[in-house]
Amino acid sequence: MPSSNPLPPKENALFKRILKCYEHKQYKNGLKFAKQILGNPKYAEHGETLAMKGLTLNCLGRKEEAYDYVRRGLRNDLKSHVCWHVYGLLQRSDKKYDEAIKCYRNALKWEKDNIQILRDLSLLQIQMRDLEGYRDTRYQLFMLRPTQRASWIGFAMAYHLLQDYEMALKIVEEFRKNQVKTTYDYEHSELLLYENMVIQDSGAMLDALVHMNKYNELICDKLAVYETWGKLYLELEQYHEASVVYRELLKRNPENTMYYQKLQDALQLQSVEERLKLFESYQEKFPRAQAPRRLPLNYATGKQFKLMVDKYLRRGLHKGVPPLFVDLRSLYKNPEKVDIIEQLLLQYVDALKKFNRFSEEDVETEPKEPASALLWVYYYCAQHYDHLGNTDKALSYVNEAIEHTPTLIELFLLKGKIYKICFQVNDVSIPQHAGDVISAYKWMDEAQGLDTADRYINSKCAKYMLRANLVKEAEETCSKFTREGVSAMENLNEMQCMWFQTECALAYQRMEKWGEALKKCHEVDRHFSEVIEDQFDFHTYCMRKMTLRSYVGLLRLEDVLRSHPFYFKAARCAIEVYLHLHDCPFKDETAEQEMNTGRMHKEATL
Amino acid sequence: MLYLLAMTRSKIELGDVTPHNIKQLKRLNQVVFPVSYNDKFYKDVLEAGELAKLAYYNDIVVGAVCCRIDTSENSRRLYIMTLGCLYPYRRLGIGTKMVQHVLNYVQKDGNFDSIFLHVQVSNEGAIDFYKKFGFEIVETKEHYYKRIEPADAHVLQKTLRVKVTNGDVKDDEKIENEKYHG
Repeated sequence: MPSSNPLPPKENALFKRILKCYEHKQYKNGLKFAKQILGNPKYAEHGETLAMKGLTLNCLGRKEEAYDYVRRGLRNDLKSHVCWHVYGLLQRSDKKYDEAIKCYRNALKWEKDNIQILRDLSLLQIQMRDLEGYRDTRYQLFMLRPTQRASWIGFAMAYHLLQDYEMALKIVEEFRKNQVKTTYDYEHSELLLYENMVIQDSGAMLDALVHMNKYNELICDKLAVYETWGKLYLELEQYHEASVVYRELLKRNPENTMYYQKLQDALQLQSVEERLKLFESYQEKFPRAQAPRRLPLNYATGKQFKLMVDKYLRRGLHKGVPPLFVDLRSLYKNPEKVDIIEQLLLQYVDALKKFNRFSEEDVETEPKEPASALLWVYYYCAQHYDHLGNTDKALSYVNEAIEHTPTLIELFLLKGKIYKICFQVNDVSIPQHAGDVISAYKWMDEAQGLDTADRYINSKCAKYMLRANLVKEAEETCSKFTREGVSAMENLNEMQCMWFQTECALAYQRMEKWGEALKKCHEVDRHFSEVIEDQFDFHTYCMRKMTLRSYVGLLRLEDVLRSHPFYFKAARCAIEVYLHLHDCPFKDETAEQEMNTGRMHKEATL
Repeated sequence: MLYLLAMTRSKIELGDVTPHNIKQLKRLNQVVFPVSYNDKFYKDVLEAGELAKLAYYNDIVVGAVCCRIDTSENSRRLYIMTLGCLYPYRRLGIGTKMVQHVLNYVQKDGNFDSIFLHVQVSNEGAIDFYKKFGFEIVETKEHYYKRIEPADAHVLQKTLRVKVTNGDVKDDEKIENEKYHG
């Protein structure tokens, strides 16, 4: 519907140029043209021009004027879809999505088939998860532009998200029929995988399998094909086929622990012996792979476990694998295994000191171990005892290691960690080992000094400083890796460095600097809002690029975004601080003073 | 099989001293040498390029060598200020690797008269070690060290260029060179 106040041709041409300038971000020029129209007393109150002027001003950061002009424009031309659309865009730029949706709906009242407004509306609806509204809008867009690819995809996606899988599949299927596919067509391949995903979501696993068998050759992402096959065969209890698929997958990647798990399921292995045999065969097949040697340790017990873990430990200690303990830590749930490992370790220390071998029997048969082997045994022992809560022994082993090789940075990291832990074992609020948190950070600082180019150690050190309430020192440490010229605190916020910000909030909370603590918590909250905000661009991008599987994944992630541990930490801290402030509100000194002087004044007048 | 062989061999490599890792050098020197070095020493080391190196054994810093060029006494000589290795890693070829690096350096340069260093007279292990590379005791300085006993130091030297000194001609040095690092 045309505006209630149409411009004559000359002014209309100028108006079109304002629109063009807006699209091309030439805001200054846009304002010039607006002035030319509004300068004419006859059109000084022209609604659409006023609205566009406002929108342009908004882009130049003049928010208040922007709202004035847009509202004035709208008042002057309430029946103009342009004015309503502009008002919607303005609200959207301020993230007032609900308001924006209302404006778009008003705009559509006056121009119901405007593609641009419908598209903008659909984006807001999916962003706000108004799925039913989204479906209706996508339907309209589909009817208006049935030849466009995005129309079909968006229409199908709407039904998928509403869990109307049947309808979603019908649309995708119909759309695919009319697609001309080339030999290597990645977008088509993604579409097929998306279709398969929808079938699986509907629970029709057999249909999904039939679909995959039919189209697998047209799919470029072969890994996805195999993984889907494996999953479907397992669910459909077609175990033989599943085992073939997982064996194939292991050929592609013998380090994927999940494949071993699934292969065992497919082979329906029951006994430990069967499982160990499977891993043994894979050790032979892939002698350099780590997983088939590590995983059987989870199943073996007793003597067999001892034999296997002995071999595994020796290999790691010989080579000098720093994360060996972390790798084996999950075995520590089983006390029998812990005992076996401990026995072996003590044997290694003894034999390495005396014979340079892991055991006395090796003297005749094996060459000497490298000089670093004993060091790595000490390092492992320290972690072992630390894990078991035996702080004294842990410290004595780490000190022996430092005595042996005072240049190994990992040792100082570990020493710091041991001090941190003995601090935490005690009640956090009244540490028995007062000063341990200080020792912890001092050892971390020592580690940090030995290699100032190592960002991991730098960050660890900063974290330990925060644990010791040394906010300033932590900031300074981080500043070695933040951008020059800006304060580290600012840069860390800009980079959404949330481990720092949450730890910093907790440090302020411990120091009872309530305001500072809340500031950090709110910064973290803002990051989460931003992540949700950033979703916006993907609604169009993913439809265009046909990365639909990832897109659905993104939507599902955003739906549970605030369950992230960082958010939990910050929220908890903020809640505690707010509760504290509620229970013991600040004594407002100036208010108190006024009250006092007021009373005095009264008394004086009395 | 080949893989197992590769596994048993230990790796020795040399690396640069940088402002990032200089503290590792300090720590190493503190443990290895009975004397301590001042800030100027470490400042100069950062400028020394190939004349200062850290030695890595299986990726761990276990040794270091620091040299400087000495132009006193009308000659151009290379002076080894420190060359040391952590105790548990001795007799594994790390010192040799560092000496060989120094020898390669002077050979490539081609303009050094000799290499020399000081050793505490009691340090027989070190004296034997350097003799392997053609160094010999040319002088003994009394009370060279201030805070350690014995305070006397040998000067060990390896002559590189045939040079007329006090009428003596050391013509067998060239052969010696080739014998030890050719």
